[in-house]
Amino acid sequence: MSVIEQPLLELDNLHVDFHTPTGIVQAVRGLSFTLGRERLGIVGESGSGKSMTGRAILDLIPHPGEVRADAMRYRGQDLLTMDKRARRKLRGRHISMVMQDPKFSLNPVRTVGDQIAEAYRVHHKASAREAKQRSLAMLEQVQIREPARVYELYPHEVSGGMGQRVMIAMMLIAEPDILIADEPTSALDVTVQLQILKILDDLVTQRGMGLIFISHDLHLVQSFCDRVIVMYGGKAMETLPAAELADESARARRHPYTLGLLGCLPDLDHPRETLATLNRDPAWLA
Amino acid sequence: MTTNSAISVEKLNVSFGDSHVVKDLSFTVAPGESYGIVGESGSGKSTVLRVLSGLNTEWSGSVEIAGQVQPKRRDKAFYRAVQMVFQDPYGSLHPKKTVDDALAEPLAIHGVADAEKRIARAMAEVGLPSSFRFRYPHQLSGGQRQRVAIARALVLEPTILLLDEPTSALDVSIQAEVLNLLQALRQERKLTYILVSHDLAVVAHMCQRLLVMQFGQGVEEMTAQTLAARKPKTDYARQLLTASEGFRRAG
Repeated sequence: MSVIEQPLLELDNLHVDFHTPTGIVQAVRGLSFTLGRERLGIVGESGSGKSMTGRAILDLIPHPGEVRADAMRYRGQDLLTMDKRARRKLRGRHISMVMQDPKFSLNPVRTVGDQIAEAYRVHHKASAREAKQRSLAMLEQVQIREPARVYELYPHEVSGGMGQRVMIAMMLIAEPDILIADEPTSALDVTVQLQILKILDDLVTQRGMGLIFISHDLHLVQSFCDRVIVMYGGKAMETLPAAELADESARARRHPYTLGLLGCLPDLDHPRETLATLNRDPAWLA
Repeated sequence: MTTNSAISVEKLNVSFGDSHVVKDLSFTVAPGESYGIVGESGSGKSTVLRVLSGLNTEWSGSVEIAGQVQPKRRDKAFYRAVQMVFQDPYGSLHPKKTVDDALAEPLAIHGVADAEKRIARAMAEVGLPSSFRFRYPHQLSGGQRQRVAIARALVLEPTILLLDEPTSALDVSIQAEVLNLLQALRQERKLTYILVSHDLAVVAHMCQRLLVMQFGQGVEEMTAQTLAARKPKTDYARQLLTASEGFRRAG
């Protein structure tokens, strides 16, 4: 056994292209990173390719998108040569994704408990009863106070925060190694947001999962993640330890885009008459 | 009765069926002031704006705007003085109307004569090139759409602007541009703003005073300085402030 642990995920030179009648749109252009048992943040503005990266890992790029990469490995298994069926088996069981809005991601005509139990039975041989037991335990783990009552509720009967907990429960019940969270808290209020992050954080630490946390919120990523990739126009502008985002002394080493993003946020501690605006340099995408 | 306030709300109550969404809310806003309302979803902050703008007619209490007690249904003069900018520029512009149509409609309703000049001026003020005048919303970016929405509100030259989360659907770099624009317009035209937002940093940047709402009630009114010094008096306001500063790992 090697001392250095094999990374959970390796991506080398990932491209996502959309072939449209008016030309090729490059959503992701040459992104490389490895993921260990850590919290990796991907930040960027809309259109930076951060969600497409998450989807490419799961093989969920919609038509007419095309994924190319020099290498794409999950624990050493080559994802590029794997057939669709094998990819589908990985999805949900080993690599899982929490979407932004529980309102659109849950089936409105089935109880939330049923949906969690189904997620378990798809990946594990289990009786309906065992699946229900597991689901109730999972609901408790995501800090839902009355699991038995919530189990019987339909999606429209739960609040946004509770819906997001249900989604997390559903994604984690198969015990994946990698969880991709695509803006998991953007639709939620700040206080609820922190509760959800706390749950994610505990689960990552306890289970040793790798978490890819996709967000547009720099403050949040900075306070929550270990490492951050800053994306712009489908490219990684830089990868840095999250703690360095706020570090004033490290400013000189920062990419101008990262500084620009930080500079245009209103700041309680440094009030300014006018906010800095971002000047985008075409050379960044060259 | 105060006549020197731009907006004065007293004992405002709003109910939708059984749910009482705004409870005994009172506040006043001075002319030329920028006043913030913050709170989480369901706190009633948007409902307050909808009452002020006349979109919601089911309420009780007293609303005084520019020294005049407002009836449930407002007259034309009111809409000339008070305009609103909505949260979602993707949803608040008609997809089949050009920028020109969107800006000309309020002028036509109010029978303004020099429409041509006013449209050109409103577009210049929000920094939209005149070549955008005959574009449709789908040909504009999110930030440009919000500029059109602001131009549409400004074209009647109101004195009060009600802003309902004007930047929460936008990227941070675009948010900065829109906030700068709103600041500049307020100074130039001596406008009065009420800004509703869930983002404390945005409110502290834009407003002199703010009101924290929870469950339909005003929890605490404070100045932006109090907020920046992190000295709110109530637990809830403190809690909201801590939560907005990001995630903290225990231990």
